[in-house]
Amino acid sequence: MTLGRAAYILMLLSPGIGLIVVFIGAVVYIAVAQSFGYYNLIGESGFSWSFWIEGIDRKSYLRAVRYSLYVGLTSAFLSVALAYPLALWLRKPFPGSMTISAILKAPLLVHGIVAAFLFLNVISYHGILNQMMVWLGIFDEPRRLQNDEHAIGLIFLQVWKNMPFALLLLTGAVQAISDDVLNAAQDLGAGAWQRFLTVIAPLTVSAMQASLIIIFIGALADFTFQTTIGPTNERSLAQYMTFMKDRGRWNDAAVVGVTLMALSLAGSVLLAVVSRLAFRGRRK
Amino acid sequence: MIARLRIDQAPILVLLLICTLWLLIPFTMAVLWSLVDPSGTWTPDTLLPPVISLYRWEFMWNNSLLQPALLNSYTLAPTAAVVTLLLAMPTAYALGRYDFPGKETVKLIALLPLVVPTFVTAIFFSSILFQMGLAQYRFFAILLAHAVLFLPFAIRILTVSFEQVRQDHVDAARDLGASPLERFRVAYWPALKPGIMATLLIVFIQSIEEFAIAYIVGTPDFTTVPTLLYSQLGQDFNRSNAAVLALILAVPNVILMLILERFLKSANPALSSGKG
Repeated sequence: MTLGRAAYILMLLSPGIGLIVVFIGAVVYIAVAQSFGYYNLIGESGFSWSFWIEGIDRKSYLRAVRYSLYVGLTSAFLSVALAYPLALWLRKPFPGSMTISAILKAPLLVHGIVAAFLFLNVISYHGILNQMMVWLGIFDEPRRLQNDEHAIGLIFLQVWKNMPFALLLLTGAVQAISDDVLNAAQDLGAGAWQRFLTVIAPLTVSAMQASLIIIFIGALADFTFQTTIGPTNERSLAQYMTFMKDRGRWNDAAVVGVTLMALSLAGSVLLAVVSRLAFRGRRK
Repeated sequence: MIARLRIDQAPILVLLLICTLWLLIPFTMAVLWSLVDPSGTWTPDTLLPPVISLYRWEFMWNNSLLQPALLNSYTLAPTAAVVTLLLAMPTAYALGRYDFPGKETVKLIALLPLVVPTFVTAIFFSSILFQMGLAQYRFFAILLAHAVLFLPFAIRILTVSFEQVRQDHVDAARDLGASPLERFRVAYWPALKPGIMATLLIVFIQSIEEFAIAYIVGTPDFTTVPTLLYSQLGQDFNRSNAAVLALILAVPNVILMLILERFLKSANPALSSGKG
């Protein structure tokens, strides 16, 4: 690569990547520094491992890590698994496909907090779901469905909100696959599942990675859904960090914050590598 | 064949029905809750509220921070969408069209704003603003933070778009003597258009929805619709007031998106024929 070309690439990267590096670099630096005892708002500052040692030793910390990973991974896989068949179905326009696509993508337009509020209304003690279950004879009397301990409601809402996002990315990617390729695979006797594994998935792996990663990170670091409809016996990492910060324990909050960042990064790399490896061998 | 198609489509049709019901029923309930007049309590044994009025709407319009919040949110979001798109384009072009050492690292760096939880970003960004004495420029501070936060979405989506530009189309256009502008129009634009649309759409929605930055950096005098709704869902939870705010947040969002989509669609023929 010549010097001129390198300078050209750097110039292209600077407004996007350059800005990200400066901005996020400053934020991450202060968060990491605080987790080691620097930049204290009150009292003296100085290097210390104690916030990390005490932090990761707490049961509540490990529990929050496990719970957030469960929510993040489940939401990402379910959203992408649901979006693929829909994206393939909508690949070619047919009568009514625009309406169907609009209905499926509608959750993108519904605010997260609004979605949580609507969901609460539906599943509340005297809500329509309970009324219907009693009317159908499935429930003898209304049940408490809010803030269920297995976070089923929360994951339902995560998938409802995020699946359209995966659909948006995957629709573009599957539409870019030419008919010739799919017809050739079909003529060679490949079934639907085989066509997906050998042709569609390898050709759309970029969009698949983007969907998985973005949904995973969003759900992992969720605060709003967790504080409104999530289980009351669990705390997400973002909630745990805010809990610490609200009590003025900035260094402890920084430990949780750095953990959350590390898990997001590690999870994203893992998802990207696994999806790439799973389909690279089939590419040829 | 017909039987197979029906079996194939049955789960999808059921899913569509559920999606439609899950949109219609909760929104209908929200509308009804927003119309409950304080003089009559709506109990579960009645299908509709006993007394209906626009009292809640008038109350919220006149007695909450709804008006400034709407102005703030709907100035911030489109500005953030355009700014983010402009910032992301050169980077996405480099990532989508050029091979260079460290490209995969650059792609990972582009994801950094997503790795940092928004509450961490919000708190430490506001701390930086205070130290620099810039805390009073709340609009521009939030705009900058939104642009950075949503750059990963824009870069990823636009990179995929740039990757999908077919080199044979670019070469064919060049061989036929097309100018750089014409090459962009015939070879790049058709592949980029859905990505640009998706970027504007997603950044707009993300900016409208964003809570942490707007709340931490905006407090006390810069209210957006989500921070207002969130505060209403807190201590003084009132289902009817929250329903009004939820509808105010959700409905214009849907309408604006439809207008944007229509605008982009109608812009397309003029651009693709070169007569715009």
